[in-house]
Amino acid sequence: MRFFPRPTGRRLLVLSVVSRTLVLAMLVLFAMWTEYANLKLGYNHPRLVELAHGPAMRMFYEASDQWLSLFGEPEEVVRLNAGMTWSVRVMGVPFTDPVAALSLLVKDHQWPLGFALGLIVPLGLALVFGRLFCSYICPASLLFFAITRVRRMLSGYLYFPRIPSPRGMAWGVLVGGLAMAVLYGHGVWALILPYFATGQTLFHAVAFGTLSAAAVSLVVFGLVDLFLGDSYTCRTLCPTGRILGALGGRALISVRRDAAACKEGCNSCEIICHFEVSPRLDETRDCSLCGECLVVCPTQCLSIGRKV
Amino acid sequence: MNRRNFVTAFLGGVAIPFLLPLLGRLQNKSWIQRFLRPPGALPEKEFVDACIGCGQCANVCPNKCITLHGLEDGLENFATPRISARARGCILCMACTQVCPTGALKKLEPTKEGMRAVAMGKAVVTEDLCYSFAGRTCGVCYRACPLPGEAITLGLYEQPHVHEEFCVGCGLCEQACVHMPQAIRITPARELVANLEEPRASRP
Repeated sequence: MRFFPRPTGRRLLVLSVVSRTLVLAMLVLFAMWTEYANLKLGYNHPRLVELAHGPAMRMFYEASDQWLSLFGEPEEVVRLNAGMTWSVRVMGVPFTDPVAALSLLVKDHQWPLGFALGLIVPLGLALVFGRLFCSYICPASLLFFAITRVRRMLSGYLYFPRIPSPRGMAWGVLVGGLAMAVLYGHGVWALILPYFATGQTLFHAVAFGTLSAAAVSLVVFGLVDLFLGDSYTCRTLCPTGRILGALGGRALISVRRDAAACKEGCNSCEIICHFEVSPRLDETRDCSLCGECLVVCPTQCLSIGRKV
Repeated sequence: MNRRNFVTAFLGGVAIPFLLPLLGRLQNKSWIQRFLRPPGALPEKEFVDACIGCGQCANVCPNKCITLHGLEDGLENFATPRISARARGCILCMACTQVCPTGALKKLEPTKEGMRAVAMGKAVVTEDLCYSFAGRTCGVCYRACPLPGEAITLGLYEQPHVHEEFCVGCGLCEQACVHMPQAIRITPARELVANLEEPRASRP
């Protein structure tokens, strides 16, 4: 019996874009809801909010009031749902970034309890689904997804190289980043990690109305992706992706090949894959379940499921 | 050969984050670095070790006095919180201490005991600037103080006298001071410690 529709390639692609858009919306909303809680604390009346901050803010205030009331006491709901990609609470459950945890361990030599508990879900997800984060959660990869589409659209007119990623570079970025975090502060990760840069940029824009310096590195990542290869940042530079890939080396759920149906001499799945996975050879170390290979496979011998 | 490629790529990767100080140079360093850390902050060195720059304290601040550092105070302060007392002092509501995920800000309650545990800095009165010390009764800083009668007491013409053992350095007095430039300033706790270690020769 099936509760879900069969995960075809197209469905997975749509799902990945939708879920990443939701994460992006969540980042913006969490920052704004906390602002709402502050308005609630300060004014506690839509009319006063309008007088102090204008009609748009009043609309937002009233909408949040109604929406958050559905889930309980608004202040309480906001207290349980806050933060951004680096450290976030969703319905009271803490999520901690593995790189943040490493950085804190190297520099501060300790983990507070709530912070350590936040590691369980991300690491568990990686053990079961591999690099699921990279295609379904990471808000920066939405940008890289769009850039991949732009590259494909323009590939008839311009030449875009596809440089293979040097193995080990992401481990180097991790070690170098840890060194910089020790020399300067954990803030440097906002300039190194694409999703933290996205979170920081959005967060600053929404909460303070300023442009964060992290936007600069976001632009750099975008250019790297555009001119060096599909998702070059994700597979070569991003330390988090590398950690998740290493953890998910024996992931339970991954791309699966029906060897009997697979055609000899076809390597369309290898060519399309951003993460240099070769389902053709049953080598799925960095698979992020994005579904690109399912779309292009001529014999439809690929599927997502439990590895055999 | 394969191993050599790996090592080369690894070293290349290590080099990339070391380019970040160049990014830090994009913005000129501001020459005024007198900022406060939020209440409940650990001593400066431990605070910098523990703060991961998630920015939740700045978001949750109902008074909007906490802002996040850009690159203006150097890469070492990037994404960490700051309070500029003259722009807006801290009202000691302790909301930021409740949300900090790493304990860089110790959890404090918005009670009198919680307030007394705060050590953001110490207020210093510049008597030459102060209206009250010039014989023009003012007393604005005393009325702004969350611990009146303890941190600040009044003398003749409402001249403020700061008692360092009780002053928590919230900066409300500095924000309130009607003189331009302000006659009462907070010396941040971070600088107080720095001065103990390395006294400046020509300090007025």
